[in-house]
Amino acid sequence: MRQTAGTINRIWLAILGVLVLIAGIALLFQAGGQLHRFLQSAPSGTRVVTGDLHAFFAASAVVSVLLIVGVIAGVLGLLWMIAQIPRKNAAGTYRLQGHDAGGFTVCDPAVLAGAVENQVNILPGVVAASAMLRGSANAPDLTLKVTVNDRANIQDLIHRIDSTILLDLANALEAPLQRARLQVDVSGRTQRTGTVVQSTGTVVG
Amino acid sequence: MTSPGAHIRPVTVGGADDVTFAEMASRGQTVLADKVIEKIAGQVARDESSAGGSSGGFLGIGAHADLSARPQATAELSGNIATLSVEVGMVYPAPLRQATEELRRRIRTRVTELTGVDVRQVDIKVSWLTTDTAGGRKML
Repeated sequence: MRQTAGTINRIWLAILGVLVLIAGIALLFQAGGQLHRFLQSAPSGTRVVTGDLHAFFAASAVVSVLLIVGVIAGVLGLLWMIAQIPRKNAAGTYRLQGHDAGGFTVCDPAVLAGAVENQVNILPGVVAASAMLRGSANAPDLTLKVTVNDRANIQDLIHRIDSTILLDLANALEAPLQRARLQVDVSGRTQRTGTVVQSTGTVVG
Repeated sequence: MTSPGAHIRPVTVGGADDVTFAEMASRGQTVLADKVIEKIAGQVARDESSAGGSSGGFLGIGAHADLSARPQATAELSGNIATLSVEVGMVYPAPLRQATEELRRRIRTRVTELTGVDVRQVDIKVSWLTTDTAGGRKML
């Protein structure tokens, strides 16, 4: 039901991978004694820095630059770590009609999700249901988690969800579902729908 | 009820020449409170559509969805122009855009008919949806 930072992870890992690959290739060439030929630099084993590095790093400009670079790297790392926290990313309030219609019509996606859950909860074998809507009113995206007991017919459940629940939601929003994700979980709990079964018979007093 | 000797001047429709502003002012004025518009709008929503409101609870706490209750409406009157906001509950899976558009049209028409106030805008918030229509009411 929650979303993780898959895209940003892929981007940063690709950047880090390219950097490490370049560094690795450079090290290989350096170990083979070929690097100085490509870069027109000093051969391996030659002292490159001859001056006093203390004087260079003691300059206030260098310290400032290093400090800023360090802070930027730290902030980026922190943001990346924060992005790892799974988020629901629930949709904002759905606006069903604009101002041109003579007024706004709005509906909280949680209200629609609640109605979907109520419908799913009365399906045979369903113990609990949790729905979440993302996207917009014109392109809704439904994530549905259904917990069933061990006697439920999963194929039948999926068929019912596909043919009834999803159609009803699309009908209510008057827009086709952009994406629908279903997660089925099995539990040992029993279903409690409270359904009233009408029966006829003779009461023996 | 008129006092003895009082004279009631018949109203001339479209007779702007006959009825002067001073005469109209001397008859008194009708002040319409926001609450009147709100109650009429709520009642129209309740009687002439499938929308419902909330009932029960105390100071709004513990109220439950009820299709037979009058939806909550708030009105902002500016002269003879009203802007309404209505909070409704509906039956799921009714097409919400169609249902609310019909509701908006009904509220606008009926409030204007009953009060003479020009309803410019009706904002609708769907606050709950129910799949249980057993406790509902029949549409007239």
